[in-house]
Amino acid sequence: MNTTRRNFIKILGGGTAAAGIGVAPAFAQTGPVKMGVLVIKSGVAAQVGESGLRGTQWGVDRVNAGGGILGRKIELVVEEESSPKDTVERFRKLALQNKADVITGGISTGVGLALGPVAEELKALWLSWDATTQKGVEETMPNPKYAFRSCDNECEAIMASIITARNWKGKIKTVAGINPDYSYGRDNWAAFLAVMKRYDMGVTPVADLWPKLGTTDFTSHVAALQQVKADLIFSCFWAADASIFLKQAHAAGLIPATRLVFTTAGGVHETLKKAFTPEGMILGYNTMYFEDPKASALQKEFVKWHYEKFKEWPNYESDHAYFTVVAYKAAVERAAKAAGGKWPTAEQIIPALEGLEVESLSGMRRYRQDHIMEANFYQGLTTYKNAYDFVTVNPVEMMTTKQVQKPSGVGLYDWINGWKV
Amino acid sequence: MFHAATLFLVAAGLQLVFGVQKIVNLACGSFYALGAYFGISLVTWALQAGLPPPLFLPVLLVAGLLLAAIGPLVERLLRLIYDRDESFQMLLTFALVLMFEDVIRRLWGTSPYQLGQIYLVYGQLRVAGLTIPVYNLIVIAAGLAIAVLMGWLLARTRFGRIVRASAENRAMSEALGVDMSRLYTRVFTLGTALGTVGGALVVPATAASIEIAVELIVEAFAVVVIGGLGSMRGAFVGALIVGIMRAVAIATYPEVEMLAIYLVVVAVLVLRPAGLFAKAAA
Amino acid sequence: MIRRALLIVALLVGLLVPFLGRDYYATLMLPFFGYGIALLGLNLLFGYTGLLSFGHALFVALGAYVAAFFTTRLGILHLELILFASILTALVVAVPTGLLCVRYVKIYFGMLTLAFGMLFYSFLYKFYHLTGGDEGMRVLRPKLLGQSFESLDKVPFLIGPYYYYSLALLLVAAFVMWRIVRSPFGLCLRSIRENPDKAEYLGVSVRRYRFLAFLIAGLFGAVGGTLLTIPTGLADPLLAYWTHSGNLVFMMLLGGFANFLGPLLGAFVFIFLQDQVMSLTEYWRFVFGAILAIVVIFFPRGLMGLFEGQAGGRG
Repeated sequence: MNTTRRNFIKILGGGTAAAGIGVAPAFAQTGPVKMGVLVIKSGVAAQVGESGLRGTQWGVDRVNAGGGILGRKIELVVEEESSPKDTVERFRKLALQNKADVITGGISTGVGLALGPVAEELKALWLSWDATTQKGVEETMPNPKYAFRSCDNECEAIMASIITARNWKGKIKTVAGINPDYSYGRDNWAAFLAVMKRYDMGVTPVADLWPKLGTTDFTSHVAALQQVKADLIFSCFWAADASIFLKQAHAAGLIPATRLVFTTAGGVHETLKKAFTPEGMILGYNTMYFEDPKASALQKEFVKWHYEKFKEWPNYESDHAYFTVVAYKAAVERAAKAAGGKWPTAEQIIPALEGLEVESLSGMRRYRQDHIMEANFYQGLTTYKNAYDFVTVNPVEMMTTKQVQKPSGVGLYDWINGWKV
Repeated sequence: MFHAATLFLVAAGLQLVFGVQKIVNLACGSFYALGAYFGISLVTWALQAGLPPPLFLPVLLVAGLLLAAIGPLVERLLRLIYDRDESFQMLLTFALVLMFEDVIRRLWGTSPYQLGQIYLVYGQLRVAGLTIPVYNLIVIAAGLAIAVLMGWLLARTRFGRIVRASAENRAMSEALGVDMSRLYTRVFTLGTALGTVGGALVVPATAASIEIAVELIVEAFAVVVIGGLGSMRGAFVGALIVGIMRAVAIATYPEVEMLAIYLVVVAVLVLRPAGLFAKAAA
Repeated sequence: MIRRALLIVALLVGLLVPFLGRDYYATLMLPFFGYGIALLGLNLLFGYTGLLSFGHALFVALGAYVAAFFTTRLGILHLELILFASILTALVVAVPTGLLCVRYVKIYFGMLTLAFGMLFYSFLYKFYHLTGGDEGMRVLRPKLLGQSFESLDKVPFLIGPYYYYSLALLLVAAFVMWRIVRSPFGLCLRSIRENPDKAEYLGVSVRRYRFLAFLIAGLFGAVGGTLLTIPTGLADPLLAYWTHSGNLVFMMLLGGFANFLGPLLGAFVFIFLQDQVMSLTEYWRFVFGAILAIVVIFFPRGLMGLFEGQAGGRG
């Protein structure tokens, strides 16, 4: 049978079954709340994507166990985040075809940049997990309405830089950077240098290396670093590259001779084995440190659940994802109250989300008026004094976005230069 | 240099299969990845079963060779379309790339796998102000050894002579009584083994991740174009050039790391279109 | 006769899709138009001239970035101007690459085009000041025939004016390609595919014709790329990656390359199939790989080949 014809008939049939012609049906007030989730399933960030999904799942299960949102249970519709073009299509599907009430997810920068305008165009509420850069936010989304973002990418670099300045001022003369070759890497390195300058550290950058994300062989990079003999190596590696690089650097004797600053490698902390990761390294865990002694009961419960189920300790992406779920719930409830008890529209939920403080796994969090998140960041100096075969940090230091994220309306470097040190 | 060794192994596999069977195997990167993952799994299992650490290297080799068993299976599949245009065969290998990617994901998950520090069990050496793990040197030596072995195999043994003769003139060889299908199976398996062993050998010092399959193809192609399609020597020299270029670029002008290799490719194409050591194009 | 009737039905349905109420599927038709045009070009190169390019995505990405550049950096929103620029840029790029690549045939050609595609990819990735790097460059909504349709939101714009504009463009491109294929030039191409030596002997300058086919394919690819990227709103380097080229070849083969309409059918089936399968399983790559394998082995003439009652046959 002619396949073309068969396909067209299918679409024709499906089309005529749709309610109305060209008019989207009104939101169902009963039935489950559809939450679309975009998850990375392939590539270097796949593990991070999976973390996010786990955090989402846990959050949704808890909400549903408590009766859902205003009595409606949350139903997850999971789609894959891949290239920007394909992810835009999945996003449209979630919004137009699945009629999702809210869409969460989004980790990689390119995807984040592409989805922002699409969310606005479709008037679809989007709570992203990650995926921000300074430039992206400024250029494409000066006044986002429907898109809500995570914290700026540079927060980790800034916090790590402040800790560096405090601990090692006067002890280092030269710095080298090895960062993934894309905007995240570049922005973080630039932020680091800016903070070093602000604190009058007197350091000179002697090398900056840019391996492509996904590189597994750093022998040439390690050799180059050995040549320059920097006092400190700065890296915002956040995936497997962190542990692979450390392993190879250790094998080449670069460690523990050099001081290290790894702003985000806490995300893959279980791979940072004591065998090749030194003590006294500044290590950042983004917004969640699994062993925070001051952790809330909520976090402790999540960590325990995660370890029992997956035999792994969770990382920050679960925290970001969890927050989107509970923030949405709280905002819907807040907006419903203002709307007289009816299920609110997206336009009513938006002002409810702004400024609303909700407890996430790692502490209280909120969205600013400009739709950027405010949260807590955790970093510290590594230690071997623990029961694992990988490093942890002690003491763990917390800084809020008030200290490490630029306020809205100000340029990043202007803000840094305006600090009082 | 280390990188060059791995490139050589993969490119050699590509070259061998192409030289004889005129198939460009896009899945050679996938074989590499499978060898890497399987190598890790086997070594991890063996260590847990009580294997003394220094013996992990032979286990790796075994893993690579064992996995080469998929070679004949894949070759069988390709055999179905031998008489078609070569482009079809390339396409079929592309289909395999897609399928293998998900197979790896299903069997080993999405996170990259590593073997920890075990490769340091062979110690480290200080050479010219740099500290190099002995293991890396072993891999480079292995690459060289395999290159020499391949050279000997092709030049001195009967098998090698048949391979070369069939590469030059298939019809003639067949007329002279060579069992082509058996030869093809052997050659393809050998090519596969080069890839899987390469992957297994390299992984202790690096890591296994799903992308390596797709990324490696690009560099392997660059090596093959530079060295000339179908030539083992070309694979060797090509891999050396690419490896050195990369190391030099990283040390001096990191921005052009990726581009440098392609620029060399284009330069070779313009100056010596058939590559540096090409055989007669079929 | 049946074929012509079916074509007309398809066209009528195509015209009506935006009114069927399934907005999402209407938006899925848009990449179909873009890919359709790009594939018409690829098919000229492979189906009619016998050269399999594994780097066609280069031109698709080129078209996309021209659109991005023009709308965001130069502030030019007229789609006609952008398309014209795409064609020009494609020609500028296709001339040197074509000259280099058509020296080779078959597998060498495939490998070379793959290398050039990846060269462009790394250029797009590395020169981030110019191209936006891994983040890509935004593509703003263009003006169609001078109209900006400001009153319409993006989705009504996409399934309204833009839909018909793209459809019209596809029809124009198909018509142009039809004429090319039917012309003496097209016949020469086919003779080159069948038997290059004989063609040369008969006085056909094989290399020149291949080169011209390459150019035409390139500019069709760029036009397709421009169309493709406007619904997405972003041009990113992945558009040039070799697996994207692989997908293009996949589509062409799926539909049937020895046939004029085959690639269009292939694009259509691929896009909708991918949409369905991606929602069903996370192992969709495996499914697609298997489909490609099955098509290559058992149905090399693709779906159109099936339709025409010839399964298998010469490659």
